[in-house]
Amino acid sequence: MKLEQATLLPLLLFLGSVASLGQTQPAPAETEALQVTGLTGVKQNTKGSLKVENGSFSFVCPKGTYDVPVASIKDVVTGNDSKRAIGGTIGTLTMLAPYGAGRAISLLRDKIDTLTIQYRDSSGGLHGAIFTLPVGHADAIKEQLLAQGARTSIPSKPEPTTDPSLQSDAKEQLR
Amino acid sequence: MKSIKVATIVCALIAGLNAASLHAQSHSIAKSPASAIEVEMIQPGEINLPAEFQVALYENLVQQLKNEGGFSQVYRDGDQNAAKAPDLVILHTTVTGFKKGSEMERNVTTVGGATSITVHCEFTDKEGKTLLERDIDGKVRFFGDNLKATADFAKKAAKITRERFTPDRNDSDSDSGILR
Repeated sequence: MKLEQATLLPLLLFLGSVASLGQTQPAPAETEALQVTGLTGVKQNTKGSLKVENGSFSFVCPKGTYDVPVASIKDVVTGNDSKRAIGGTIGTLTMLAPYGAGRAISLLRDKIDTLTIQYRDSSGGLHGAIFTLPVGHADAIKEQLLAQGARTSIPSKPEPTTDPSLQSDAKEQLR
Repeated sequence: MKSIKVATIVCALIAGLNAASLHAQSHSIAKSPASAIEVEMIQPGEINLPAEFQVALYENLVQQLKNEGGFSQVYRDGDQNAAKAPDLVILHTTVTGFKKGSEMERNVTTVGGATSITVHCEFTDKEGKTLLERDIDGKVRFFGDNLKATADFAKKAAKITRERFTPDRNDSDSDSGILR
């Protein structure tokens, strides 16, 4: 009996540690992204990468690095969408393919995440920027931004409250 | 016979010139020249508008007004420098209609899946007096993603703004896509 316990315990500990590692997987340092519109000085639909570090939200593309102070971000919202698997000019040309092949090709679509931010510049002017990212990356970026001082109008997780009376109050307000 | 022809041509020319001058007069009377405009953030109103559409509407509008609006200054929402502009026009916008279509449906059916947005635009002066009100729509019917509707709206809005508030340019009066 004791032998069974001795073998089960390390197994459980091992499984527990694997599960916890899976939950706390860190977000990648840089995430591939497409700047759809809005970032000052960057052309629409520019490919690059996003990173959040030292209180700065940066978009890195071949033309340079564009920074937005995280503290100036007044809203971060994520969403999801889809885009044509074959995009751009080639994608448009494929629509002319004969026997309905173009329409069939347009059914091939990739799921994407969207990340929308609103921020204020040094003179108080409001800017907005939209990025698309691979599925599952937008929430990680949002969490990093919120951790470094950005704000959001749509919190992804409810604030944890330990006091049960406060929890019931929050539920009442939701109703 | 020849003199009748000449007289008819002269009469037609005179009538044409009169019509042109009347048209120009009505244009100049309708305009309220302004050198600067402040664009406020698009308000979703009662509509459940996705954040990316709200931001795309705002950014495209600012960009179009900078490129095509004919103003010397285009200020963003909250810009402190706007207060210094002497003849500032403020553009308030509220979304009154939104239908998110589907790019895939547009590509496959060619008739369905259109995306459309209707925005109520109110131009006021610094004191809040309304100078102009219009409902302007943006659509994407075939090519392009759903956000292209926001660019369509921005083009139409910039055109109306230019015709109404920029003194030096005369444009055609066509109001396609403008709902009154």
